[in-house]
Amino acid sequence: MISVFMDNELDSELAAEVRSHLAICLDCARVCEDFASILDVCGVEAAPEIVPPNSRALWCRINNIIENEATQATPDVPAQAARRVWRLSFSQLAAAVLCVAVVSSLLTVVALRNYTRPAEADFTSRSVASQTTFEKVLVRIGLAESPHQARERRINEQRAAIDYWNARVQARRVQWDRTTRDAFDRNLQVIDESVSEYTMILQRDPEDDLSGEMLDSVLNEKMNLLRDFSEL
Amino acid sequence: MIPDLKSSFCSLLAAKTTIFLSVVFFFGVFAPDVSAQRRFTRTYPAGQNVRLTLMNRTGTVTVEGWNRPEVSISADLEAPAANIAPQSLSGTILINLVRDNQGRNEVGNVNFTIRVPFNSMVDIETRIGNLNVSNVRSGLVRAHISSEGDITLTNISAAAVAAENGLGDIFFDGEIQQGGNYRFTSMRGNINLRIPFNSSFRLVATAPSSRDINLGRFGGENLKFVGNGRRVVGQTFDGSATLMITNQRGAIAFLAR
Repeated sequence: MISVFMDNELDSELAAEVRSHLAICLDCARVCEDFASILDVCGVEAAPEIVPPNSRALWCRINNIIENEATQATPDVPAQAARRVWRLSFSQLAAAVLCVAVVSSLLTVVALRNYTRPAEADFTSRSVASQTTFEKVLVRIGLAESPHQARERRINEQRAAIDYWNARVQARRVQWDRTTRDAFDRNLQVIDESVSEYTMILQRDPEDDLSGEMLDSVLNEKMNLLRDFSEL
Repeated sequence: MIPDLKSSFCSLLAAKTTIFLSVVFFFGVFAPDVSAQRRFTRTYPAGQNVRLTLMNRTGTVTVEGWNRPEVSISADLEAPAANIAPQSLSGTILINLVRDNQGRNEVGNVNFTIRVPFNSMVDIETRIGNLNVSNVRSGLVRAHISSEGDITLTNISAAAVAAENGLGDIFFDGEIQQGGNYRFTSMRGNINLRIPFNSSFRLVATAPSSRDINLGRFGGENLKFVGNGRRVVGQTFDGSATLMITNQRGAIAFLAR
């Protein structure tokens, strides 16, 4: 209705009502002002510079520019890449290959050590004969323990635990009765005999896996005996 | 002089007699009470899968399976009597005399006789003494002696059996179940196993000191001596069960039944 009012096409009574409404309604007054300004702009004669250009000629120009830039850029990229590749000297290339080889070897070693490492209990029973060539190589370059080293380490750990429990037993044994003391001493004596026997065998023949395994077993027995009696 | 000596001697004799009679009277009156304190009995209702866990200090433990849904514990306590406080915790009967008597200088032997439903799991230990288990058919039978004592397991059918002792014999008379796990370990003693001839197992039997491993009727091509006769390895039939035997300074023998 506002646009009809703006075109002066309303009859006088209706136009008067619109006017009185616009006087009190701010929103409608703004709409009316907007229409008025649009009509003002449309009423002014268009300036020459905003006359739409020849669209066909414009697109031809744009297309030419794009094609020109594309033909200049395309041969430059491979040329630059090629120059970058050939900039590497032979020594650099050799160093890169060596780095890749070393890193992959280290990763392989770490993976093998982590995933094919035998269980702790198996270490003492492993012999040089049962080692794979790869394991022997790892032992030679110091990346893995030999069976002897593993056995030594295991025995040292057990002896440390035995010392701990033995100290506790010594603190408590004064409270034991005679029967308990005698039984404990008899058992400890038999265990110590076995420990001595296997230790001597292993000194003579370090490759005797079975004695190594039995030594591990009796040291465990000793540790268990001490632990059990330390509770009394 | 002589009558004086006579009278003093008589009075001394009378005094000694009085003291002696008093001591005899005292023990005569109170001894029955003391002996009554040395017996402990208790019964617990048991479900289908009850587990008995017993840790004794010294004494003999006998566990027998029976066809009743209850666990009967009876113990003879030698002086000085041990504290004993069994617990029944969600299907487990727990008796721990080591914990209950920790720090006590002297505790007498406690000899247990326990009856359990025949399908109970049995896990018993003692520091010194014999362990006997019979008529149990369940998932687990474990008998452990820290030092000296014999282990006797008779009429056992369990998927897992473990018997360990220091000085003493181990005797097992039972079945080897398919896929079962059996371990017998001794420092010095004889380990004797009486099992059905058609038992199927993988075997590692080691007697490093005596080298005395008698396979009996089980001996054959599939069981071989290795390590200069110190160990036997191999399997019988399809080898579904695992049998590990170690006797550090004693013999190992198999008997077929």
